[in-house]
Amino acid sequence: MRNSWLIAVRELKERIGTRSFVLMSLFGPLLILLITYILFAFGGEGKQQWNVLIADPSGIMENKILANEDKSVRYSFADGYLEIEEFRDGQRFQEFDALVEINEKVLSNKLVFVFYREKPSVRMQTRVQFHVERRLEESMIDQFTKLSLADFRKIKQPMNVAFRNAYDPLDESSDKRGWVGFFFGALIFVFIFLFGMTILRSISREKSNRIVEVLLASVHPRQLMMGKIAGIGMAAFIQFFVWTIVIGAGLFFMREYLFIDKLDASKFDVVQMTKEVQEQASLDKMFAAKEYNEFVELVYERVQFGTMITYFLLFFVAGYFFYGAFFAAIGATSGSESDGQQFVLPVIFLLVLSLYSGYYTLENPDASIVLWLQYIPFTAPVVVMVKLAYGYGPGESYHLYLSLIFLGISALIMLMIAGRLYKNGILQFGHRIRMGTLLKWLKKA
Amino acid sequence: MLEVKNISKSFYRKIALDDVSMTVNSGEIFGLLGPNGAGKTTLIRIINRIIEPDKGHIRFKGDIMTQQHLSQIGYLPEERGLYRSMTVEDHALFLGQLRGLSKNDVKRQLEYWLERFQITDWRKKRIEELSKGMAQKVQFICTVLHEPSLLILDEPFSGFDPINVELIKQELIEMRAKGKTIILSSHNMRSVEEICDRVALINHSRKIVEGRVSDLQEERKMGLYAVKFRGNMIAFVNALWTGFEIEDKDILGDDRFVVRVRMRGDSSFEDLLRVLMGQVKIEAAWEVLPSMQDVFIDLVKDKKEVGHEK
Repeated sequence: MRNSWLIAVRELKERIGTRSFVLMSLFGPLLILLITYILFAFGGEGKQQWNVLIADPSGIMENKILANEDKSVRYSFADGYLEIEEFRDGQRFQEFDALVEINEKVLSNKLVFVFYREKPSVRMQTRVQFHVERRLEESMIDQFTKLSLADFRKIKQPMNVAFRNAYDPLDESSDKRGWVGFFFGALIFVFIFLFGMTILRSISREKSNRIVEVLLASVHPRQLMMGKIAGIGMAAFIQFFVWTIVIGAGLFFMREYLFIDKLDASKFDVVQMTKEVQEQASLDKMFAAKEYNEFVELVYERVQFGTMITYFLLFFVAGYFFYGAFFAAIGATSGSESDGQQFVLPVIFLLVLSLYSGYYTLENPDASIVLWLQYIPFTAPVVVMVKLAYGYGPGESYHLYLSLIFLGISALIMLMIAGRLYKNGILQFGHRIRMGTLLKWLKKA
Repeated sequence: MLEVKNISKSFYRKIALDDVSMTVNSGEIFGLLGPNGAGKTTLIRIINRIIEPDKGHIRFKGDIMTQQHLSQIGYLPEERGLYRSMTVEDHALFLGQLRGLSKNDVKRQLEYWLERFQITDWRKKRIEELSKGMAQKVQFICTVLHEPSLLILDEPFSGFDPINVELIKQELIEMRAKGKTIILSSHNMRSVEEICDRVALINHSRKIVEGRVSDLQEERKMGLYAVKFRGNMIAFVNALWTGFEIEDKDILGDDRFVVRVRMRGDSSFEDLLRVLMGQVKIEAAWEVLPSMQDVFIDLVKDKKEVGHEK
């Protein structure tokens, strides 16, 4: 144990002392932050001009919506009730980008659906929402109160304007959270691949410069292998920790200084806002303030970072040991460094397969094959991350725990197999790997 | 100190060691000699528990050898490497701690050896900054840091420059004087025989002989004497009478020669010196003993002949 620890510490020191480790620790998260910033800043861009049809069969809006013209949105009113299918497929409605459905009970249930053909930018969504809300407020005051518009706005309840894809009105394919899971899964893939290759190179190098024989005179081959995998794993863990700190700090900074949630209830000054919106020019200010697009919302509101990071670490550790054992076995059994790299291809193939499985899960989270993919140790780390991001239903969390247990057991079995290959292969030089030889080494205690 | 009992090892169809037994006594330099591929390195790896034997066992200080005994052994393999990016000190700390030393002990020992080899300014140097000869010294230091009671050096002088060879030889002799046991393995028998007390010769996976160097030489000596002299070769030849026979000669230049002479009949070494005195200027004279290589070749020949006769 002491020897494995010494070997692990040496590996760790060697890794964190390299320039590539420092660069990767710093520029990796900065790159992710940059991409996040770009998504935050420009991710919500969409069509600049919108043609909106309002279906208001009860005539609540009285075919009126805007006092002053807003050039970016053009409203038309439909006659009578309009079915979503009719709007979606009807030839005469194709010119419209969206349908605003004002149901008869809107004034009591405060729910308005907007069905769009192409997803609008957040700025456009905010405009439409704002226009519809204002008009409905006017109608509400007319019908139910004697309050002035300004007074009413002080006591009003927010209107729920739900944006739905006209082709997916029940919002079944929302995969935003899934993407976050996929991001975490892909992160596991990247870390396992990078640090797995480090294991392979480190073992090949020790083999080729023959220091391995000096080490083997002091430590058992299994201790040496475990120390090496653990040490490189610790380096990966530290790198991930640095990434978490840098990305966390970056997101906090962006939240506090760049993408301020001005519509947050705690920062919402109703009186000030009402005054401002009297002028058309102020509207733009407000819309700009709501440049709080879906990515920002996704990152700050929807992702449960605590759970994701906890399970990420658990699956990362188990997945790393599982795949790390493969890399260690290849490094130890190969006759030369190039030979080893050639044999890495099947492992890379498996890793890519796991990444694809993650993508498949993203698209079909409830497919029956996904149930199996999360139990297969090769694909589990990525698939479970995606599933986790979607959230396990009540009574389904056992899938998560079982998957983790299976992966842990598989990692232990792989480490035992790799230990045997490592022991028998580490002192063999200059040969070509053959399946027959590997099987012989496996049989040999 | 070390008892190797009936060790056999094969790698699939190839037999690497076949029932090899030998005993290494405490405080001696033991030579494990034999041609390349004879099985020396396999035996050394088995002693170091790097690989396991198929048959047989090893006793260390009377006990069956276990992993715990490894901290009392220092091993310098034939193919030796160092981590290029590590400093000399870090290297010593890493390998010393693996052998069971504390950090402070490693530092103290390292200080001693760096001073002994007069290389104290190397402490913070990275291995990649050192020349091959310098790295060899570091390798040797890392092998002896933990003051092992048994030191095993596989082909210790291969790749070492002549200055380092001499330096290491002197160190080994000094360590023997301090009671340490040393096993040297080499295919180049001449390089180690002069410092070995006892040897085992291995050929084709089997031990063919084991014994004291002087005994083995004594058993195989051929009655040859060498005389180094200055003078005339003709005078030398004329001085010899029928009791002696010239085997061969080396011309050293400047009228100096080394001539090997075989005795005939009852002639003795003293007789030889007596007839030569006054004829040539004798600088040195000695009994020619067979080298370990000669002993080895002789033994291998004998075995073959015995095999043929069978």
